Amino acid sequence: MADNWQFVAAAYGLAAAVLGGYWRRLVRLDRKLAAAQARRRNRPADKTHKIQ
Amino acid sequence: MTRALGWLATLGLLGGLVMGFGVAPREVTQGNVQRIMYLHVPTAWVAYLAFGIVFFASIGYLWTRSDAADRLARASAEAGVIFTGVTITAGSIWGKPTWGTWWTWDARLTSAAIMFVMYLGYLLLRSIIEEPEQAARYSAVLGIVAALDVPLVHFSVYWWRTLHQPPTVMKPGPVNMPPAILAALLVNVVAFTLLYTYFVAKRVNTLRREHEVLA
Repeated sequence: MADNWQFVAAAYGLAAAVLGGYWRRLVRLDRKLAAAQARRRNRPADKTHKIQ
Repeated sequence: MTRALGWLATLGLLGGLVMGFGVAPREVTQGNVQRIMYLHVPTAWVAYLAFGIVFFASIGYLWTRSDAADRLARASAEAGVIFTGVTITAGSIWGKPTWGTWWTWDARLTSAAIMFVMYLGYLLLRSIIEEPEQAARYSAVLGIVAALDVPLVHFSVYWWRTLHQPPTVMKPGPVNMPPAILAALLVNVVAFTLLYTYFVAKRVNTLRREHEVLA
């Protein structure tokens, strides 16, 4: 039977694209959350005072 | 910890490629196209594992109402859908040169496609319900019900006449496979399991932090 390397390349290539794409999505989400958490930490404290 | 797991998964996948393309011999009947097996079978195993984790985490959530169990179920379902997609695609690409068709509605392929759609539905359900506690509760029920399809996928090749071959490794009795091919397959199973564990650990972490940011 012919080796059909093009099918092997297609299967592994698609798998790499899908798994790599999901990994990139997780990394991007991770960075976005780190930035959001940093913004929260750097937000100035609430300076309003309760009127006695 | 998650970073170390990521590197371990990368090393495992590189090892898997070396084993699958360098160490395992060319299969006599199918030729080199059989090397798709080192991708197709491990991703199918990981999909079973992922949906098994969804099942137990969903029971855990309904039992304890723990947010951690809900996050684990959600992360595992996401990874499971990704790996099922890879399994079905790789299987379809392997099917064309060996069976002469990209797709056939046989029991194994159909039940796997149903499993894929059920867990897509699980993720969709989570995204359309706005109230978090309600989303967690409903999806936990679906996570338990959908898991019933997993044994159906695995045993479909015994219960119905299918074009898909029966399992060679995940079955009772001795494994009739040349040692080099079996070793390559097992290395890839370990590598993809590590990758799944890395994905889930990272996703659980982002879900926890998302909750903190929104709180």
